[in-house]
This record gives sequence, structure tokens and C-alpha cells, in this order.
Amino acid sequence: MRDKPWYAVVYMFVVTAFFSSIVIGFAEFTKGRVESNKRIAFERSVLEVFGLSAGVPAGRIHEVFVESIREPDDDSGGAYVYVKDDDVKGYAVEIAGKGFWAPIKGILGLKADKETVTGISFYEQNETPGLGAQIESDAFREQFDGKRISLSGDPLIIKPVGAELGDNEVHAISGATQTCRRLGVFINEDVSKWLGEMAGKADD
Amino acid sequence: MSPNGRTIAGRDIIRDGLWGNNPVFRQVLGICSTLAVTNVVLNTLVMCVSLTCVMSLSCLTVSLLRNWTPRNIRMMVQVLIIAFYVIIVDLILKAYWPDMSSNLGPYVGLIITNCIIMGRCEAFAGLNKPVASLIDGFFNGLGYSFLLLTISVFRELMGMGTILGIEMPYFSGIWDKWIIMVMPPGAFFALACLIWVCRSFKAKEGA
Repeated sequence: MRDKPWYAVVYMFVVTAFFSSIVIGFAEFTKGRVESNKRIAFERSVLEVFGLSAGVPAGRIHEVFVESIREPDDDSGGAYVYVKDDDVKGYAVEIAGKGFWAPIKGILGLKADKETVTGISFYEQNETPGLGAQIESDAFREQFDGKRISLSGDPLIIKPVGAELGDNEVHAISGATQTCRRLGVFINEDVSKWLGEMAGKADD
Repeated sequence: MSPNGRTIAGRDIIRDGLWGNNPVFRQVLGICSTLAVTNVVLNTLVMCVSLTCVMSLSCLTVSLLRNWTPRNIRMMVQVLIIAFYVIIVDLILKAYWPDMSSNLGPYVGLIITNCIIMGRCEAFAGLNKPVASLIDGFFNGLGYSFLLLTISVFRELMGMGTILGIEMPYFSGIWDKWIIMVMPPGAFFALACLIWVCRSFKAKEGA
């Protein structure tokens, strides 16, 4: 039987069907978890820029998120809104673009004045560990806290290490020139776009 | 190294996998992942565990099916089996350890194309009994792992002054960090030096 030409075809078919069905079954089984992991990473990122995520376990992130963050609407120019006691406390602007290896996605938090930065965080990046991936480090991200974005020209500027810093400038990471350059480009694109939309609202 | 039909002692399989026929510094296989994931020890560790699991189970499965698999399509079957285990590992990481999954990025999926696994399936598991194949896969995995871990310890220590993210005395302070060690070129230097060292040992043994 094993010498027959159809044997190889039938054999391959049976083996493939067997292994694929296990993989499909397992993927279905973990699908919910994988998606909720992604969602939690995003929500944690939004909370982080407003300093709301410290010490919150993964299981409670969603609860805190629902409590204090309002979904984007027309009035917020597409940004998530941090609301406390019915007052708008800040805006979480989504920033996303090309990194050195793969897309980087993150959140830039701004106060209700739309100028003061409350923080920055990333929920998806695949930069070189030890170099570009340092954008996730506290040392790099803390630089953004309290910066005031410029309303003329580029909102935020990333400068080489050692340069003197202005009100809207932060230091890059040495050894991660490309990551920082690209990061600077898409932060500015996304923030400018959002500012444009908000300015449009104010004129109405 | 595995003549058909002859049983091979477990001890020889273990010694070959770890040293005598080490997949990395003897056969120089699986180099892409050796270069790519060795800049931080933790990533390397997870990669090594994943690869060793996939390799052991793939070798076992290939060996179990060896008497039914037609010779002319054996490689297709091997790739299918390896891919099956890799996807399972990838899904487990995505579902239960999302941070690590995003650290390793595409490299978990690329275990499928790691030549060591297919090499062992083809050279050993396809011709030998299941238990021997499992041992062979496992110890070749360990042989790969110990080399990768050695490289990653040096790279992380010299490049970032830490090991497993923990600051090391001297290296995190006085040591001027060699950033090139955590960048891709550093991997080439580290691997080359290690292959050199390992092979010179072998020469002294005169084996």
C-alpha cells in the first residue's frame, strides 16, 4: 500500500488535518485571552499617562479605565478623555507610526489646557532591546512630564543627548538615533493633527 | 552519525548534542537566532526553553511517524510537525506572557526555520527510535541553549552592565558600557570568539 502513488497524498492530507485541527482548537481556546491582553495593554497605557495605573493589578485595569476615561467623541478630536468629578482633566492622544523595526504605538497625555504634557507611554513596540526599546524606560518617558508643547512649529522636539533643552524639548537615547528620529516625526504628526481638530472645534 | 538500524547509546547522544557535535559551534547551524535574541539574557532564556521544547517534541513526533511517512514527502511532514509545535508555543506566550511575546517579536515564529530542528529530524529522528530521538532533540536543545546563554551573559553585561536586568557591581558603575555589544554587530564578535574558544578546547582533547 505504501508504494501506491495516492498513499503520499492521503497521508499528507490526514497528517495535516490532524495537526491543523489541534492548532485551530487551541487558537480558539486562547483567542479571548490574547485579545483581552491587547486591550489591557492599551488601557494601562492610557491610564499610565495620567498617573492612574501605578499599583493597579492587571485584573482591575479595565475597571479603573471605565471609571475615569471617557471614550473619544467629536468634542475631544478623537482623543480619549480623562474625566474626574465631571471635569475634563486631560486628553490621551494616540500616537502611532513606524519605528526602526516595526510599528510603535503609544499614548501622549495632555492636561485640559491642551498644552502641558502629563506623560507618554507605549503599548506596542519592537525596537532593539537595550537601545530603541529604552523608549519604554522610565528615564526616557519621565522627561516628557510637564513639558509644554509648542503651538507654532513642531509641538515636541527630541534633541541629542547633552544638548540644552527648551520647554518642549527632550533628550534622545544614545545608540537609538533612528528610533528617536522616527518617534519624533510621528508624535508631531499625530499631535499637530489633533491640535488642528481641536482648534476647528473651538472656532465652531 | 546515526547509521540506520544500529542502536546508539544514550550517553553518546547526550555528549554529541552538548559538545562533540554541538549544533552551534560544531555544525554552525541556527545562527540567525543566535545573533538575534542574545542581547538580553531573559529573552535568550525564553527562546532557549521554547526551542528545546519544540525540538524535543518534534523529534519525538517525527520518530513516531517515521515508519508510516513516505520518504519522498518526509520533509513536508517534518516542517508541518515543527510548525505545529511552534504555533502552540507562540500562542501560549501570547495568551499567558504577553510582555515576553512582544519582546521576542517574530523570533518565536521563526523557530520553524531554525535549521537545527530540521537537521535533527532529518539526521536522527527519521531513522531512530522515539525515546532516543527525544533525548537527541532535548540535548541538542541544551547544547544550543548553553552557548546562547553564554553569549547573552557577555553581551548584556558588557553592553548594559546588567544580568537579567539586575545591576552588576563594577559593570553598571565604573565600566564604560560597550553599546556595540547589544547591537547586532556585537553578536557577530561574541559568537566568533565563543566558537574560537570552544573549538580550541576540542583540539586540545585531541578527540
